[in-house]
Amino acid sequence: MNSLMKTTPIKSSPMPFSSEDQFRADGNNNVPPPQGYWRFAWRSGHGANSLLFEQRAVVVNLGLFSALLLASVIYLSLGSVKVAPMAVLQALFGNADMMASFVVQELRMPRLAAAASTGAAFALAGILMQTLARNRLATPGIIGIDNGATAFAVASIVGLGVSIAPPAMALAGATTAAVLTFGLAAGNGTQGYRFIVAGIGVGAVFGAITQLMLARVAIDTANAAYPWTVGSLNARPSGALQLLMLGLTLGLATAMALARSLTLLCFKDATASGLGVNVKRRRVEVLLLSVALTGLAVAVAGPVGMVGLIGPEIARSLSSSRSVPILAATLAGALVMVLADLAGRTLLAPIEIPVGIVTAVVGGPWLLWILMRPQRSFT
Amino acid sequence: MSQSPTPTMPSLATQSLGMSYGTRQVIDGLDITLPSGQVTAIVGPNGCGKSTLLAGLARLHKPDSGAVLLDGADIQRLPTRQLATQLALLPQEAVAPEGLTVTELIRFGRQPHQGWLRQWSAEDQRVVQHALAAAGLEQLADRPIDALSGGQRQRAWIAMTIAQQTPLLLLDEPTSALDLGHQIEVFELVKHLAHHGRTVVMVLHDLASACRYADHLIAMREGQIIAAGAPATVVTPDLVRMLYQVECTLLTDPDTGSPLLANVRRSPAPA
Repeated sequence: MNSLMKTTPIKSSPMPFSSEDQFRADGNNNVPPPQGYWRFAWRSGHGANSLLFEQRAVVVNLGLFSALLLASVIYLSLGSVKVAPMAVLQALFGNADMMASFVVQELRMPRLAAAASTGAAFALAGILMQTLARNRLATPGIIGIDNGATAFAVASIVGLGVSIAPPAMALAGATTAAVLTFGLAAGNGTQGYRFIVAGIGVGAVFGAITQLMLARVAIDTANAAYPWTVGSLNARPSGALQLLMLGLTLGLATAMALARSLTLLCFKDATASGLGVNVKRRRVEVLLLSVALTGLAVAVAGPVGMVGLIGPEIARSLSSSRSVPILAATLAGALVMVLADLAGRTLLAPIEIPVGIVTAVVGGPWLLWILMRPQRSFT
Repeated sequence: MSQSPTPTMPSLATQSLGMSYGTRQVIDGLDITLPSGQVTAIVGPNGCGKSTLLAGLARLHKPDSGAVLLDGADIQRLPTRQLATQLALLPQEAVAPEGLTVTELIRFGRQPHQGWLRQWSAEDQRVVQHALAAAGLEQLADRPIDALSGGQRQRAWIAMTIAQQTPLLLLDEPTSALDLGHQIEVFELVKHLAHHGRTVVMVLHDLASACRYADHLIAMREGQIIAAGAPATVVTPDLVRMLYQVECTLLTDPDTGSPLLANVRRSPAPA
């Protein structure tokens, strides 16, 4: 093949630079899509429009979404009071008996929403940070952002004695940790080990500060703040969930809007820039998004950073390497968190295992597996 | 020139351009004009500032002083995306995400022309097919990039820049890691592109290839331009000595008329 190619004469054909209009005129609908894509075309006032959907991504996203729905029904049905799956569906649509309605709508539904939203936010923040750093280990949990958010949130509960809204404090903490990490890795940008090592150091310091604060306050106060330090869905500050859901909606929409240029960030900076991506600005946007999502999610559930590693990893193993699987990672994160909290609530009932511990038990071995298996893409 | 370019060609020039790398001033007060529709090669010894100059031309680095002008306008003021429709860049040792096929790579070249509601137009389809053909890669369209030979891989990257449909193409050492056969593949493709209306600028460390394939040569030393013009007129034994501290005998290629360097040897140490 090699020698054949060398002798292939280079074909000469004219190279028009601007002939778009003449091509818009003829059959916008008959253009063959690239292999593995579905193409939808229509005509509007702006001319010919077209959308591409990667077939595999559509299948993966639908599959993950179905799995999330199924897991949610099981989540709502299991617990100290069992509600049959059919009764769950009836309760959701408002025509079940009082008891089932109360358990499903008042007790479990808000917690399910918290589990799904935090899982989605952690995983989305994770894949954004990984893409930014071109490193699969560079999730907010590993580079100290979770711990920064936690330390500030704990401070607002125990240290200050005044109740500053935990989401605001968690956001401030996430931002502080991010500034420190990037400041300490200055000069080397987001690539390379220095950035990750700096992040691990920053995270360790914030973890220690959290422990110190807990050790110095009255035992009751420490107990109240304890969930923050391991990650639990049992102590959700009021209003934090609503803020997270708003942030997640906006964040996911923004990330999807940036998806095309995020794929280009997998190339070298010079290549991405040559293809028209404003690399510096895109980096800042992605970083802000990732830090904000982490802060909002920590305010609800504490540092469940492992989800930020597991969600993107599941999505990546299911997807092709043609694009960054933003939506799939988000759905996978929500699914993992819902399943983890379901396991935490039911396995040792009536004792509840905090969801952060369940994800750590699963995530630890997962991390080892990532480190030990032969490198694929995204190194 | 077998065929004149269709639209008016944009011109690329620098105006007292100064650039530094870290704290070191690499080039200072450089004025160059790149001839349209020709292959320009920038040559010079290691560390002479040729790659920095290319990075400036491609707006990868910001100049300290002066400007790079595209049709008389400072490129720092152009939106990144708009610049990407005028100027394509092939950086040194470009790497693609693993598993990406030739066609998928070439499709990325359409990025600056695509948008929200214009993700795959008839034009995109046509241009990608054209780029595959122009680079002689039709047989390899569905091969992963990492399964190609060095020359094929480099042609796939150039095909991506062809799909970008820019009148200007900048290449940083496009043949540095290739053996002779693969080098010729790449140079002939580059020459072909210039003949079809593109302005090509490449940084080369090999003066012999520059003599053979460039229409216009820019020789740099210590951040300064010491010669610029057609290789046949500017390449002299004196120039070669100034650039690389070597002596040589200059011959003329009997087939192409381009200068040939023979009996290259170390200059005697200055007394």
